[in-house]
Amino acid sequence: MSEPSIFFAEVNERQGVFHRRAFLLGGFAGVGLLALGGRLAHLQLIETQHYEKLSASNQFNFKMTPPPRGLIVDRNGVVLASNRPNFRLMVAKDKGMDPAATVKTLAEFVPLDDTRQTRLLKDLANAPRRSPVQVMEDMTWEQFSAINIRAPELPGVTADMGEVRVYPYGGAFAHVIGYVAKVNKSDLTPTGPNADPILLNPGFRIGRQGVEEAFDLNLRGKPGAQKVEVDANGHEVSTDPAGDIKAIPGKEIVLTLDADIQNRAMEVFGDESGAAVVMDCRNGDILCMFSGPSFDANRFVRGLTGAEYRALAQYERKPLFNKALTATYPPGSTFKTMVALAALENGYDPKTVHVCNKVWFWGGRPWHCDEAHGALDLTGGIAHSCDIYFYQCALTVGPDKIAKTAREFGLGEIFDIAIPGQKAGLVPDTAYKRRQFPKDPVWHPGETPNMGIGQGYTHLNPLQICVQAARLANGRKALHPRLIHSIGGVVQPSGAAFGDLPFSHENIDFVRNAMVTVTTSGTAAKFGDLGLGDVRMAGKTGTAQAFGYATGHGVHDRAGEWRYRDHSWFIAFAPTDVPRYALSVLVEHGGFGATSAAPRAREIMRVALLKDPEIRARVEKPLPMPELPQTQSDPDVVDPPTPAAAAVQNAQQPT
Amino acid sequence: MTVSALTRPGERDRLINKIGEIDWLFCLTITLIAGAGAVMLFSIAGSSWTPWAAAHLARYALFFAIMIVLSLIDIRVWFALAYPVYGIGFLLLIAVMFVGHHALGAQRWLQAGPITIQPSEIMKIGLVLALARFYHGLSGKSAQLSWWLLIPALMILAPVALVAKQPDLGTAILMLATGAIVVVLAGLSWRLIAAGLLAVAVLVPPVVLFGLHGYQKQRLTTFFHPEDDPSGSGYHILQSKIALGSGGLLGKGYGLGSQSQLNFLPEKQTDFIFATLAEEFGFVGCVSILILYAAVIFMALRTSYLSHSHFGRLAAAGVTATFAFYVLINGSMVMGLAPVVGVPMPLLSYGGTVMLTVMVGFGLVMAVRVHRYSEVTSGKGSLL
Repeated sequence: MSEPSIFFAEVNERQGVFHRRAFLLGGFAGVGLLALGGRLAHLQLIETQHYEKLSASNQFNFKMTPPPRGLIVDRNGVVLASNRPNFRLMVAKDKGMDPAATVKTLAEFVPLDDTRQTRLLKDLANAPRRSPVQVMEDMTWEQFSAINIRAPELPGVTADMGEVRVYPYGGAFAHVIGYVAKVNKSDLTPTGPNADPILLNPGFRIGRQGVEEAFDLNLRGKPGAQKVEVDANGHEVSTDPAGDIKAIPGKEIVLTLDADIQNRAMEVFGDESGAAVVMDCRNGDILCMFSGPSFDANRFVRGLTGAEYRALAQYERKPLFNKALTATYPPGSTFKTMVALAALENGYDPKTVHVCNKVWFWGGRPWHCDEAHGALDLTGGIAHSCDIYFYQCALTVGPDKIAKTAREFGLGEIFDIAIPGQKAGLVPDTAYKRRQFPKDPVWHPGETPNMGIGQGYTHLNPLQICVQAARLANGRKALHPRLIHSIGGVVQPSGAAFGDLPFSHENIDFVRNAMVTVTTSGTAAKFGDLGLGDVRMAGKTGTAQAFGYATGHGVHDRAGEWRYRDHSWFIAFAPTDVPRYALSVLVEHGGFGATSAAPRAREIMRVALLKDPEIRARVEKPLPMPELPQTQSDPDVVDPPTPAAAAVQNAQQPT
Repeated sequence: MTVSALTRPGERDRLINKIGEIDWLFCLTITLIAGAGAVMLFSIAGSSWTPWAAAHLARYALFFAIMIVLSLIDIRVWFALAYPVYGIGFLLLIAVMFVGHHALGAQRWLQAGPITIQPSEIMKIGLVLALARFYHGLSGKSAQLSWWLLIPALMILAPVALVAKQPDLGTAILMLATGAIVVVLAGLSWRLIAAGLLAVAVLVPPVVLFGLHGYQKQRLTTFFHPEDDPSGSGYHILQSKIALGSGGLLGKGYGLGSQSQLNFLPEKQTDFIFATLAEEFGFVGCVSILILYAAVIFMALRTSYLSHSHFGRLAAAGVTATFAFYVLINGSMVMGLAPVVGVPMPLLSYGGTVMLTVMVGFGLVMAVRVHRYSEVTSGKGSLL
């Protein structure tokens, strides 16, 4: 090869082979390029729609937006639970993000103590990648904007605006309405409404207790979606408001409660423990259902610290407990109304007189009364709440008839007021003894006198006692309590749509009149006058033993240690002539019924009555004006217009 | 300037005549492709000249100048340098095994001061030159079937083995294919060609099974079953196909390719730049680019026809084959027709090494064209 002397024949032959084969090479290249073109045509012209879809699903994510939770309002539209804007700070694990350094940086913007920082780091370590962990809620605008400016340099950190539940009347409605709280792992279910992925949204809150829990699904609404453009790492690049799906707000729930009455109940209870229930005795609407002492539901929304929760849970007066529904107490002397009615229904002569000498010996033991009432008939027995009278009255009727009457008045019954937590309590009878005490299945005669004064086995909750008062006040209908007026505009059935009370009107009226006597000359004589003219209140006191006096602990009235004192009851209705409102008030360990419960009942009842425009019209009669000489001399003078009417007149006159 | 002028030794060596003989239409075509690359790189960077578009253009300008200078170098000089270039390339390939720079699990680069050298790229040109020179001196009969053919076989397989060892499977295959093409063009007997194809068909499966590195095997299995691993290796192919398919007829519009702009497309500025182009300019844009590539291949191949020397013919055709392989392998890979084998789209993709190789190759092709009437004998001829 040192001398490549190339001869033409040789050259031409090699050249010919080369030319032919190079032509082939060109042909192959051409075919290859055509194949690529064909593939392109297939992908880009025929399958393009398929890949467009894939591309769009790469490019866009739908981020769930929690719907605004439905409002809860009272009968007059006063907002009891609503939502307010909430600036939240979240952090999520992400590529190239150092959790410890990020949390340290965040601590420069918002107060984060060391324990909170450690907890955050732990939460972050446990959270899946890119799922945000809440650092702080309720940032100020300054904190929010400062973080937002720095957010681009802080990977994984976002500050956004969510909504948080707010209860304007913090404590007054805490037990009825409940509260919302963070979703627990145990709330999540594989199927059903709690399988909804919205529950995993860090801003989502689930209803706990009361209306919030019972109507959680109604209040929740339907989540919307925000169309977000994301890059391959899942980072948001931009939003597309036109592609958003609007969230459907939760339904508004109108309660039958009245915020003013409820708030007054909370005021008058102060530190006392107990419950107050007010019902409209024409239709069964619950106007007030308060349990005290209460707690601020707003604190639960944010999440209590362990110490805060322990303080509430361990407090002797049990603020977390809804005493209107969940606690049962011996009804004490309020039960005497039932005994009296049972007696009358069974032919008992109301003129029957028993003499009270403070002590009555029967069955080989002494039975006590508060004082020596002397000779009393049935009305007197009720008015002065004479135990000795009712020991004997009850013995005349017998436990089964008393129990039957009591149950007709809703005692021992669980009502469908749609919120959870009711305890049925107990109205005992002979069948109960047979059922529950196999070793001693006999109703001993000595148990009847105790039942006659609302002690012994009898345990009832304040709602039941209020229903009893409302049915007595109504006198005709077996009213049912109603708490939910409407859900999303759908009105719930009225509590008056039930049967009549199977008692003679005469007998019910007798008991009602006796209750009027209680507040005119009886145990609660001071409280009949509401300061509202002829609109007066009738009622019945009750003093229920919390501990037997014989144990050495139980103390009468307000002497001694709080937890050993008697429970103070009062049931009432007003106005006495045409009853509209009935209530029950229980003050735990409040002593005599007339000491603690009755004065509070008076205050609560006053608000209920004054909120009623018809009652107000009755109370606010225009002042008689005969003193003015010119009106006497001028017979044509008209009544002075009410301020509202005067304003209308003034507005109509051109000036 | 007439053809006859070139045939006169005195005139054809004049610089001005040489410059006139450069195929300026060819230059325009490759410049259009490189320009399209810059346009895409500008878009991918979010309408920014940095970090890619400006560097791409600057590099192209420099390499274009190099190509022009190389095209003026006498074909006899190329002939004389053929074995030395091959030899240096081979030595560097051996050197890279011992002192090479590790990157991404492969040992491909030599660091010489500020310059990074990838010996396999030198070898791409060196192999073509050496084979062309060898066959230049071999009779057509010997080229068909003779013991002499063991020499080109060794010339091809030795560097291919070294490159495959690095491991750089893409380049190894490219070099093997280019070498084979030159051997075939030189006149290998059809019987041997058939035997060679048969050997490939028999040998490939065991090589794939036992001879490949884990990631190479992974790429192959992923190619055949991309749906098995949509977020791993299959991801590249899938995202590339999504980019292509969603481009449709006219594309999503310049700068609006969501697949590339939002980083769903991997290696979007290098190996998968064609997918970016396809997404933003659609079928029309893709076919336009493919037509430009076809034109380049056609013009380069035509140059090999024009050459009066066997060396020139084989060298130009070898370079053309390399270029065509680049285009076809990258195109198939991007379109999901071939496994992912790290071969860029020449001139379009960002990256200096391959562009330099291609432009040096084109310099050789142009030199063949400019000196197509030169007698090629060893040891004669001046540099320019």
